[in-house]
Amino acid sequence: MIRQLWELIRKEMLILLRDRQTILLLFLMPVALIFFLSLALEGVWTDKFLGRKIQLVIKNESQSPRADLLAQKIKAHESIRVVERPADMHSDKILADGKTQLIVTIPGGFEEGDKPVELYFEPTIDAGYKIAARALVTTLTVEVVMGIDNLDTVMKGLIVEKPRPDRELPTPLQQAVPAYAIFAMFFIAIPMSIGFLKEKKDGTLQRLLTYPVSANLLTLGKIIPYYLVNIIQFVLMLLMGVYVMSRFISYPFHLGASPWHMVPVTLVVAAATTGFGVLVAALGRTPEQSATLAATAAILMGIFGGIMVPHAVMPVLMKKAAMISPMYWAHQAYLDIFLRDASLASILPKLIVLTVFAGICFYIAGRRVEWI
Amino acid sequence: MNALDVASVTFRYNGAPACALDRFSLSVADGRMHALLGPNGAGKSTLMRIITGQLRGYTGDVRVYGRPMPDRDALVSIGFAPQPISLYTGLTARENLRFFGAMARLSDADIAARSEAVLAQTGLSDHSEEMVSTFSGGMQRRLNLAVALLHAPGLLLLDEPTVGVDPQSRNHIYETLAALNASGMTIVLCTHVMEEAQRLCSAVTLADRGAVIFDGAMSEIDHLEKFFLEQTGRGLRDD
Repeated sequence: MIRQLWELIRKEMLILLRDRQTILLLFLMPVALIFFLSLALEGVWTDKFLGRKIQLVIKNESQSPRADLLAQKIKAHESIRVVERPADMHSDKILADGKTQLIVTIPGGFEEGDKPVELYFEPTIDAGYKIAARALVTTLTVEVVMGIDNLDTVMKGLIVEKPRPDRELPTPLQQAVPAYAIFAMFFIAIPMSIGFLKEKKDGTLQRLLTYPVSANLLTLGKIIPYYLVNIIQFVLMLLMGVYVMSRFISYPFHLGASPWHMVPVTLVVAAATTGFGVLVAALGRTPEQSATLAATAAILMGIFGGIMVPHAVMPVLMKKAAMISPMYWAHQAYLDIFLRDASLASILPKLIVLTVFAGICFYIAGRRVEWI
Repeated sequence: MNALDVASVTFRYNGAPACALDRFSLSVADGRMHALLGPNGAGKSTLMRIITGQLRGYTGDVRVYGRPMPDRDALVSIGFAPQPISLYTGLTARENLRFFGAMARLSDADIAARSEAVLAQTGLSDHSEEMVSTFSGGMQRRLNLAVALLHAPGLLLLDEPTVGVDPQSRNHIYETLAALNASGMTIVLCTHVMEEAQRLCSAVTLADRGAVIFDGAMSEIDHLEKFFLEQTGRGLRDD
């Protein structure tokens, strides 16, 4: 029986690995998604959560000691990047060309207090960015006018920043690597169901039933190879994230204090994805029908489950809706490990949800499958 | 002992208005080549699927070498070449043989030895490492037969073994069958090629609409095709 099972697995693996389209779908698709979407997320992540530098042009018309000091302070500030003013270019043209979104003019008469500093904003500027830029220039102007060296030091006793420890927001790689690995693992349903329905159609499945092989063994022979492929998929994507993508993305890919917790999580996620594959194979009537069903369901689960859009930035309603997707539970289990240094006990409820999902899939498939 | 005994088997597919097999009986003596003939819808393929354990839920009795079916262990004494070419086209000929040999519980050594033998028997020795997807229809049909012969079964069931092949492959298949039968293998042949059935088979069962309408020695029939049309009528069978 063991030998029969081994040959069933070997046959399935040979057919699977010789199918170029399947390899592209299962391995190249997540690699591409992780690569490009990590890069895309990096920009969004920087803008939204770390704060990009305020980019501005300084126009010093005063050239007085106080004006020079203000210009110097602006240039030296860590949150500001000063763009060189193109010679003889009108301010409107500078903004229109997108060289900067803010021009700070220190007018003649600033030294004497006759004229205020002018902030000339591009009208389409983000409101939050505008407020931040205005506050920063205001602070530096106050320091110069009041003769204060560093206003932040003065304010230290009055305002203290105490951020909540970040346990929600993954870095681009922490988000994208498990997300698209899980996404691709669910796509295993396509080759799995097509393979099963093709065998039914060409009669090889019926032929197998004429040998002393039980239906349970045939089922195991179908499930185990795809389960193994799912695990290989995750390991490869993780290695790619750790060793390849970290060269392209400036944010680190921390795996948390107990990365080995990924082992039980991956084993359970792979059970859920193969369960989904078995269900699609049992419900589909034709290969085309099963491929459409699998792809549509996987994309919907991805949209809801925080794969396409990080769960942390979803509106409250969508955050709740995400729980209907098994991909949410799988992704959050990995984020528990990466971000929250979760113990196995605290991940367990998510693993139970995924196991129940797998169980329901296998149960329905067992009831609906037609071998002949 | 008979190689095959089918006694009063009745079977109806789910939702079908009529029985696919209606009190169907058939005996095949050991060492015989037996023709199982009938127009489309006669129940031949259904009977083969029942004998090989694919279909359950029938009434009546089926025995292979005296062992009541369905019996998983008795399946190794049956070789079955189904009408559709049921092979893994993504594997080579040898890989197909290795796989089906393992399913028939052959050892690695037996698979290696028997593979060489059946590849030679079916004229595929030079193509053993080629992918089945690159095979012509005739080559695939011969490999379909080779798989059925791999575990050296006592009883060989063939469902339309020469459909869609050229005369050369057809001739090769029939020569192979004659040689196998001469060496003592029992063969049940379902076919629409009447001349070959009459030439090769010593017994014949003619079925129509799930029931046996003639069962006897081939020697009792002068012209098989004429007899077939007389017994089953000339009307088209499109239902």
